[in-house]
Amino acid sequence: MKNIILLLPLITLLFGCSEEFLDSTPYAQSTSATFWRNADDAVAAANALYDPLNDEQLYGHGEQTFEICSDDFWRAGDHGEDQAIEEFVFDPDNAQLRHGYSRKYEIVNRANAILINVPDIDMDPALKDRVLGEAYFMRGFANWRLHVIYGELPLIFEQDVIDGTFNKPKATTDEMRAAIESDWLEAAALLPASYSGADIGRPTSGTANGFLAKLYLYMDNMDKVIEHGERVINGPYPLAADFGDNFQIETENNPEMLFSVQAQDGWTTCAYRIYSTPRPWGGWDFHEPIQDLVDEFEEGDPRLDYSIMKPGDIIDLGGDRGPTEYTADLSSTGYHFRKFASWRESGGLDGSQNVPVLRSADVYLMVAEAKIRRDGNGAGDAEINAVRERAGLEPVSGAGMSELIHERRVELSGENQRHQDLMRWDKAGFIDIVEHYREDRGAFKPSRDFQRPKHYYFAIPQREIDLSNGVLEQNPNY
Amino acid sequence: MKKSYTLWRVLPTMLLFLGITLSGFAQDFKVSGKVADTAGEPLIGASVQLKGTSTGTVTDVEGNYELLVNDKNGILLISYVGYQPSEVSINGQSQIDIILNTSSRLLDEVVVVGYGTQEKEDVTGSISSVKGEDLQNLPVIGASQALQGRAAGVQVVRNGGAPGDGGSIRIRGTGTVNNANPLIVVDGVPLAYGSINDINPNDIESMEILKDASSSAIYGTRAANGVVLITTKKGGFNERTTVTLNTYAGISNISNRIDVLDAPSLTNIKKEAYQNDGLDVPDIWNEPAFQRQRTNWQDELFQTGYTQNYDFTISGGSERTSFAFTGGYFSEEGTIDNSFFDRYYARINSTFKVTDWLTIGENMQLTRQEGNFLNTNSAQTGLVWSAIRFHPGLPVIVNEALPGHEIGQYGSSQVSGEFGDINNPIFTQDIEDDIATNNRFLGNLFAEIQILDGLKLRGNFAADASLFDRTEFFPIIDQQIRARDRNALERSYGESYSLLGEYFLTYDKVFAGVHQVNLVGGYTAQQFVSENFFAQRLDFPNEEFDQRFLNAGNTISGASGTRQDFSLLSGFGRLNYSYDGRYLLTATVRRDGSSRFAPDNRWGTFPAFSAGWRISREKFFENVEGISFLKLTGGWGQLGNQEVANLQYLALVASGRRYAFGPDGSTQVVGASLSRIPNESISWETAEMLNFGLEIGLLENRLFGTFNYFIKDTKDMLLAPPTVGTIGRTDVPDQNVGELRNQGLEMELSYRGGKGDFTYNISGNAAFIRNEVTTLFDGNFLASQFYGRPNQEIARTFEGEPIGTFFGWTTDGLYQNAGEISNDANIANDPRREAGLIQPGDVRFVDLNGDGLIDDEDRTIIGDPTPDVTYGLNAGFGYKGFDLNIFFLGVAGVDIYNADRMQGLDASYPFNLYAEAENRWTGEGSSNSIPRASVNRDNLNFRTSDLFIEDGSFLRLKNLSLGYTLPRSVTSNIGMTNLRFYVTGQNVFTITDYSGLDPELGLIDGNLQSNVDYAQYPQARTWVFGLTAGF
Repeated sequence: MKNIILLLPLITLLFGCSEEFLDSTPYAQSTSATFWRNADDAVAAANALYDPLNDEQLYGHGEQTFEICSDDFWRAGDHGEDQAIEEFVFDPDNAQLRHGYSRKYEIVNRANAILINVPDIDMDPALKDRVLGEAYFMRGFANWRLHVIYGELPLIFEQDVIDGTFNKPKATTDEMRAAIESDWLEAAALLPASYSGADIGRPTSGTANGFLAKLYLYMDNMDKVIEHGERVINGPYPLAADFGDNFQIETENNPEMLFSVQAQDGWTTCAYRIYSTPRPWGGWDFHEPIQDLVDEFEEGDPRLDYSIMKPGDIIDLGGDRGPTEYTADLSSTGYHFRKFASWRESGGLDGSQNVPVLRSADVYLMVAEAKIRRDGNGAGDAEINAVRERAGLEPVSGAGMSELIHERRVELSGENQRHQDLMRWDKAGFIDIVEHYREDRGAFKPSRDFQRPKHYYFAIPQREIDLSNGVLEQNPNY
Repeated sequence: MKKSYTLWRVLPTMLLFLGITLSGFAQDFKVSGKVADTAGEPLIGASVQLKGTSTGTVTDVEGNYELLVNDKNGILLISYVGYQPSEVSINGQSQIDIILNTSSRLLDEVVVVGYGTQEKEDVTGSISSVKGEDLQNLPVIGASQALQGRAAGVQVVRNGGAPGDGGSIRIRGTGTVNNANPLIVVDGVPLAYGSINDINPNDIESMEILKDASSSAIYGTRAANGVVLITTKKGGFNERTTVTLNTYAGISNISNRIDVLDAPSLTNIKKEAYQNDGLDVPDIWNEPAFQRQRTNWQDELFQTGYTQNYDFTISGGSERTSFAFTGGYFSEEGTIDNSFFDRYYARINSTFKVTDWLTIGENMQLTRQEGNFLNTNSAQTGLVWSAIRFHPGLPVIVNEALPGHEIGQYGSSQVSGEFGDINNPIFTQDIEDDIATNNRFLGNLFAEIQILDGLKLRGNFAADASLFDRTEFFPIIDQQIRARDRNALERSYGESYSLLGEYFLTYDKVFAGVHQVNLVGGYTAQQFVSENFFAQRLDFPNEEFDQRFLNAGNTISGASGTRQDFSLLSGFGRLNYSYDGRYLLTATVRRDGSSRFAPDNRWGTFPAFSAGWRISREKFFENVEGISFLKLTGGWGQLGNQEVANLQYLALVASGRRYAFGPDGSTQVVGASLSRIPNESISWETAEMLNFGLEIGLLENRLFGTFNYFIKDTKDMLLAPPTVGTIGRTDVPDQNVGELRNQGLEMELSYRGGKGDFTYNISGNAAFIRNEVTTLFDGNFLASQFYGRPNQEIARTFEGEPIGTFFGWTTDGLYQNAGEISNDANIANDPRREAGLIQPGDVRFVDLNGDGLIDDEDRTIIGDPTPDVTYGLNAGFGYKGFDLNIFFLGVAGVDIYNADRMQGLDASYPFNLYAEAENRWTGEGSSNSIPRASVNRDNLNFRTSDLFIEDGSFLRLKNLSLGYTLPRSVTSNIGMTNLRFYVTGQNVFTITDYSGLDPELGLIDGNLQSNVDYAQYPQARTWVFGLTAGF
């Protein structure tokens, strides 16, 4: 009996254990209920808009891979899926089509979260405008990249996030462009014209206007190209004194650089510096420029030296290697891009190299193109010549589309423009892209079969088609 | 703090028990004698006990005993393992010699069940029992490996042969696409995490595998994948103290090689590939320096491994205490240099009968494990993968003039991208520095109080605590193609622990002679906490080993850390009822609360019932000849699985998104974004199981068979919803949507026989299990990891099919000539044909959807990695002092996707090729299965297809052991009770049609991909020599 008495209190003690025992704590994490308290949270959310850009599948390598279709460079490297992209024989399950897809939507949804939550935060109105402006700009930017690559895709807005509606049918091209236009117009209104100090590198109203110019160029709305382009040209975004300033770490955030992917060695880096450089120099040897591009540069155009490493060039690799001669055996084509990498003094590729996305020079040439197309040859001479004079070249006069096309190719080589430009000009009737790509440009750019209109857009990833259960339709002809 | 308090407050109560004093007994009458077997050999260590008391002793080396008893008319109980126990009345005699008969029965066994034990005869659920003696001295790392093939329906999937890899246990098939590991319970303590590598098989008394719902439901939300109960060796009361020393040591080797090309043949094929495509042959393939055969990289990589083990057991007991103290050291140096695994451990188990009504005790183990884990699972950087592919014309170390190299450096494919994106595997092996250690305490304290006759209360307080420490150093690599320009040191450190407090009552009573009742009821609370941090520095000016500490790095580059916790609170009860030993009934219920789920969904109830009919006890069965035992059982129940990520019911925002701004981009900023979308209705998975069993004994139970048929339906399986890319990269929480069914037949047969000095036993087990995923999201599939550099999809999980089926194209030979191509309906509309991209020597893929072109829509299921049958066969023979044990393990009806061969025949990669590439298509009629050499991938000849499906069935002599035990007459002269020498082979040979290194490939991506050859670390053949000495 004694024993039983001993046990009774024990039992009550134990069964008295409460539900609290089953509470679990999210240590070191916030929940969406505890986040979005103040300006710090809003700025942190805005900062998070950009970090996907550094991803290997976006500007680390993936976005540039869509440019191997152009006539500027050979894919090189050892990614099995790249050959099919370059040769226009890819299937919808080509891995490259899939890689960056959800990462761009991640930016869209980070922007949506800001647009949903930040308006209710009590904070400095100017800072709030900036944060909202950044969100509008980046949502527009991600949708823009999705649009130029895939054409028509679902648009995800704030309400879709609130409702959890992600499996949506495609928007039309017009709807996509309207959404991008609306976001960038909002951004142009909300963002400051420039930054000082620690915020340099964030998008400005000039960035938004520059992209609007680009959007309107794709929409063949020349008046708007000129209107928004001139806001950049007349704004605090002058061309850098030296073309090369845009590609050197000390000066890469000069005012000409309207938008670039920001990197800092050891903190956040972008792998494109590795992808674009020779193996023995620490790179992975992708995207080798071909002779056809080198030949496009005019005699004495200093931009060639800044843009492309050629046999005989001396490159400072830092460390034990120091200044080293570039030799033909470093590359299959004989060349590498020089714009996207530099080496630390102590040796090794410098991880602080940014990746340029939009420069004022591009906007000058867009305005020039719009003026030529609206008002005829010669109308864009001023803008073309601004770019040429910066390079130290003789001005042109009475420039038409062929001069413009030439200038864009050499000014923006490797900067992810050429293939899109060629398709744009094909649609506008300035070139015949099928013929253009059919031309045999040697072993590294043989004749290729561009099918119009199929190849204006890449295929939507097969995975997305499969997962959507019939909601998402594949692009025509795939 | 509140939580731990609940657990800790029971301690004082337990300590209180300790304070209760003992009382003695009067002992006056002395009995002595000798215990021997029927052949007259003395039995050493046999137990002699006065029935109904704790008075007892054990026999000495001559088989003699001496016992003081207080009742000269009492009854002596004499027992010895493997012999029928005997009862002898003392009747005032002072000299009683006893002869014990060998036991021919299998069923005089007790099996361990959840929260108790049960007579094997009375079990109505499905439990496989593996005796410790079958696991002794296997040269394997731990308990899970030792379990492989030992029980029907218990599959131990080996994930390669790296030292320290224990394998994954699957009970009754893969029960879920999520964590399908069973719950492991060691001496009553459910482990915090599944690894049982730190339990030496030599320490195991028995392992019970609870397979059906009835036997495992008492573990509720953690039982859906089955339960493995491990009971470690204990001392016995009144048992002479014995010391057993055990040691073995031996060597291991990888005997297989993938037959690859030598440098001249590789050169020829690469040239041919370029020529076939009309391309210029790159200069490097015309460089004579690399056309000389220099190195067989697999021979360089695979060396002799060494295994050694030393352990001891000291056990014994007095009238009131029993103990077992064990400890040991195990070391495995892998067949790849620099891979190793070491384990040190000590364990003490003891029990004290404090008074008649109170018993207390503890089981405690300390383990330290240390290992260096090489990368052998990647099809881009894995060591074996690299060794198969690294250029055979390159040397390990350069000792002659060689283009692009300096004397003394490691051979490097850096000279040309044509030699592939691979670092010299010997270089990688030499520099790899990734040491992980794990220190673990596992132990419990218990107290058992006899409240009334038949009623006991047991309290159990346990802790399972681990400290993890991992240090990885990444040196600068400047002479290999996968370069690294800054060195780095990463150190991660963590602790995890679980605390358990539980109480249960057991009531055992026979009413009116025929109603046997056993009731168990209790309460348990367990809390799990883990915490870790990580630090990284870059730029170590000096890479020497003595500088590989964080302080020596110049740049601080990373620091992170967090904490996680979860807890379980449960009540459980079980009734076992038996009427006259004929009709058996078990009813179990457990109610579990889990913090893994939202407050409204965290409680669940898991019931189970089973019944048995022991036909052989019926009157009408008395005259049935030959059948000595016959029992039918049937049961049903529900089990849970809560092994999913914590906190999925919360929307989490994670910080740490890095970016930089500022004039020179040097202002570091940190961003925060949603890292998980919440699912507030998330709950556990439920497995509902139906089980029918038949046990039959023939020939006095010398031949015994167990047959079970089960249907196990997993419901509410947690699935990550198909995340359309528009969601972005946020973690999407699982939803309770999926369903999965495993059904199958399991059988275990054993026979024990012998004549004179010759004894033998043979046992076998087999399971035929069919796995089918019955429901996924709206007819969707589950994707899994893509293969290596080609980024190729190999496996998908579909509704109506087994988990992880191989998914790809079907083929119909190769095009032999241009006519076949132009007439082929499969490609009638294929633009590739028009463009001239399909050539003779390319694969004829089959156009399954009939649209005249080969595309993604033509893929189908091309293979199944789930075996139709898994089986094990064990035979033991004894003759005088010799013993021989043979153990086979096998699977049949299973496919392997040989992805390594797929890439190994593809000349478009800048890698070495399988020697089979010599048999490639070179002209009409030359081959119908190995495509032409080509560097372009126009026809994608090496896409995932049935060309690379192979039969993965194998029969492996897993274990062969021959031992000799010196006669007792000899050993007793040198003061020993036992001395046995043995030689044991592990993985002695394998019969298989599989062409790769090892048909046991294991899991690749959780459960969603298995049996795909990524050139995993193959299992070695090991031979050890050992001895066991008892004192």
